[in-house]
Amino acid sequence: MFGPRIKLDKPLYDRIRKLAKTAGYSSPDEFVAHVLEKEIAELEKPDSEEEVREKLKGLGYLS
Amino acid sequence: METRELDRRGFLKISAAAGAALVGASVSLIAGTAPLCLAGEGKEKKTLVLGIDGMDPGLLEKYVEAGLMPNFKRLMSEGDFRPLRTTMPPQSPVAWATFTTGMDPGGHGLFDFVHRDAETMAPFSSMSRVTASKRVLDVGSWSIPLSEPKVELLREGRAFWQILEEEGVPTTIFKMPANFPPVPVKAATRDSAKALSGMGTPDLLGTMGEFAFYTSRPPKNAREITGGKVYPVKVVNNRVDAALVGPENTFRRERERKGRGRRAREAAYKHPPCTIDFSVMLDPDEPVAVFAIQDREFILQEGEWSDWVRLEFRPVRGLVGVNAIVRFFLQKARPDFRLYVTPLQIDPREPALPISTPPRWSRDLCEDLGPFYTQGLPEDTKALSGGIFSGRDFWNQMQFVFQEDYRALKRLLGTFDEGLLFFYFSSLDRGTHMLWSYMDPQHPAHNPEEGLSDAIQTLYQQMDEMLGCVLGTIDGDTTLIVMSDHGFAPFYWGVNLNTWLLEKGCVRIRQGAQPSASGYFDNVDWAGTTAYALGINGVYVNLKGREKNGIVPRGKEYDELLARLENDLLAMRDPRDPSRPVVSRVVRPTRDFHGPRAAAGPDLIVGYARGYRSSWESPLGRFSREVFTDNKDLWSADHCMDNRAVPGVFVTNRKAALESPGLEDLTVSILAQYGVTPPPEMIGRNCLAPASAK
Repeated sequence: MFGPRIKLDKPLYDRIRKLAKTAGYSSPDEFVAHVLEKEIAELEKPDSEEEVREKLKGLGYLS
Repeated sequence: METRELDRRGFLKISAAAGAALVGASVSLIAGTAPLCLAGEGKEKKTLVLGIDGMDPGLLEKYVEAGLMPNFKRLMSEGDFRPLRTTMPPQSPVAWATFTTGMDPGGHGLFDFVHRDAETMAPFSSMSRVTASKRVLDVGSWSIPLSEPKVELLREGRAFWQILEEEGVPTTIFKMPANFPPVPVKAATRDSAKALSGMGTPDLLGTMGEFAFYTSRPPKNAREITGGKVYPVKVVNNRVDAALVGPENTFRRERERKGRGRRAREAAYKHPPCTIDFSVMLDPDEPVAVFAIQDREFILQEGEWSDWVRLEFRPVRGLVGVNAIVRFFLQKARPDFRLYVTPLQIDPREPALPISTPPRWSRDLCEDLGPFYTQGLPEDTKALSGGIFSGRDFWNQMQFVFQEDYRALKRLLGTFDEGLLFFYFSSLDRGTHMLWSYMDPQHPAHNPEEGLSDAIQTLYQQMDEMLGCVLGTIDGDTTLIVMSDHGFAPFYWGVNLNTWLLEKGCVRIRQGAQPSASGYFDNVDWAGTTAYALGINGVYVNLKGREKNGIVPRGKEYDELLARLENDLLAMRDPRDPSRPVVSRVVRPTRDFHGPRAAAGPDLIVGYARGYRSSWESPLGRFSREVFTDNKDLWSADHCMDNRAVPGVFVTNRKAALESPGLEDLTVSILAQYGVTPPPEMIGRNCLAPASAK
C-alpha cells in the first residue's frame, strides 16, 4: 500500500488538498495517485475490438 | 534575356489568356528560361476527374450496348475506354489510396479496412485515428479537456493534388476517399487547395455511421442489428418522448460500479453521453406528427423525411456546444410508431472535426448548397440489412444522397475555370452492394418484390445523365477522366478463413474451450497458433518477434509456412461445388508490393474467386461451424475478391496510351497533364496519349 514517497512543496500540497476536497476524493493521496495514473496511462491506447467493430460496421463490409 | 521568372501558375494564366494557338509564342517570349511546364501537353490546363465508386466495366458495356447510356457511349467512342486494374485487395480505402499517391500498399500502407497492432494484437481502422484529449483535469464529476483531440490520417505518401499545388496548379477535391482528415496542402493561390473529406469521415459518434431507430414495437432482431441502435418508446396520449444520444460528454464523468452486491466496487470513471430530448405529437386521426426538438418544430406525414435539422449538444450549458445535423424519417405513425434518424452528421457549417481544407471551405459549401451529409459513405446500407429500411426506403435515402452530390457537382462546375477538379460519387457503389440480389435470381437473398430489379440499371443511367450534364459544360480543352476504384461481383458465399485455418491446424483453441462465434479470437491458444485471418482479405503468420504471442520463427519455417498456406489457399474447394477454386489469387506483400511499408501488412492477401468473399464473422476473429455459408444478407454483391475479377473503369475524352492501365497509372497521367514529373515513389506510367493523338 505504501511505496516510495514524493516530496511536494507546501503551496502545491495546499492546492492539491483543496482540489481533492472539492472533487470529492477521500484524501489528497487518492487525488494525486489518480491524476498521476491518468497522466502515465496510455492515453492513446488502442480501441477495444468491440469499439473498432462498432466504428466500422456502418461501412457495411463488416457485421 | 528575360530575367523575371514566372511561376507555373503565372505561365498557365498567360497561356489561357493568349489562347491555345499562342502557347508557342508565349514560351518563346521567355527567352533563355527552360519551359516551365507542359512539355507536349501545353494546352491541358483543365482536368476534370469523375470518381464513380464501384462502376463496373461489364455492367457499363451491357447498358451502353442496350442503348441506355448514350453519353457514355459517345465518350467511349470519341475518346477511349479501358477496364482499369485495381489493387490487391480491391477494397475502397486501398484502391483510392493508390489512386491518390500513385503507390501500391507497400508505399501508402493501407492493406485492408482493418489492421492490427502486432504488439497488442488490437485491431484498428486503417484509414484514420481519433484519440481523446491527452490531458484532462478531473474535478468532481467534471472532466475538463485541456488539449484538443488528435485526428490523424494513417495513409502515407503525398497526394497528387499536394504535388500539383506545389507546382502552382489549383485543385479542388470533393470527397476523395481515405482522406480524413484532409492532408494539409500548401496552396498555389489564396483560393485553391480546396478539399472535402470523403469515405472514412466519421459521424459525430466517431463511427462510420450509426443510425437511431425509435419504435413502439422493437423488432425481434433488435440486439443483432449493427450500424444502428433501436430505442423502444411508448406512445402515451398520442405523444412520444425520446432523446437523441450524442457523443460522450468528456466534460463529465460518472463512476462505474463493477461487480454485484457486497463485492461491488467503484471502478473507473466513464463519460456519460450528451443527449437532446425531443417529442413527437401524433395526430389522433391522421398519419401526421409534430416534432419538437430544441428550438425547432416541424411536421411530418407518415412516410416523409424532414429537411436537415441543425442541433447543438451542450456538454457544458452555456459554454461548450457541439453541432450536428440530422434528418428524421417518420416511417410509420400508427399502429406501430417507427421513426428513423440519420447518423449524427458533423455539421459542415461548424465542424467538430476537421473535414475540409481550408477549414472554412465546408462552411462556404454549406452556405452555397445548404447542409449536406458529411459522413463518408452516407447511404444507409445497415438500415436495409437490419430490416429497418425496406428496399424502397433505402432507394429513397440513397437518391437523396445522389441528388445532394449532383447539386454540388453542378455548382462546382459553374466555377471550374482552371486546374484540377476531382468529384466523387458513392451511390453507385452502395446501391450495387445492396440491390444486386433484386436483379439476380441466383442469389440466396433474391427478392423479386419491391420492383427493384432494374434499380442498378437506373443508377447507371443516372450516372449517364450526370455525364451528359458534364459534357455540356466543359470546353474542348478540358481533359475528362471518368474512373472507378473497382467493379463488382456477386457475393453468394462467405468463407470463414479463421475456421478454415482452424481445420488446417494453424489455429489452436484452448483446451476444453470451443471456437468462439463472438468476441475477438476468443479461446484461441496463441502458443499453438501459427496463422490467423484478420480483415476482409488478410492472413497473418503468428510471427515470433512481431506478434505479441508469436511462435513461428523467421527464416525457413516462416517461408515454408507461407508457401504451404499459399498452395492450400489456391487448392481450397467448396464441397458443395468442388469443380472450381474458392481462391484464385494470393499476393505476398513483401514479394509483390513496392515500398517501405510492404512488411507492415498481412503476410498474405487472399483473392477470392467470383461469388466468394470473406464471411461476415471472420474479419474480426470470429469462428463459425462451417467454412462455407450462403450469404443471405441484402449486402449481396462485393468487390473484396481477386482484383482481376473486379476491375474498375477508365473512360476519357482522350486516347488511352496503355492497353491495361491501373489506378497508379492514372495518378501519373494527371500529373503529366501539367508536365509534372512523378516523384520516384510513384510506380505508374502515363496512360493518356497526347492531346493531338487520334
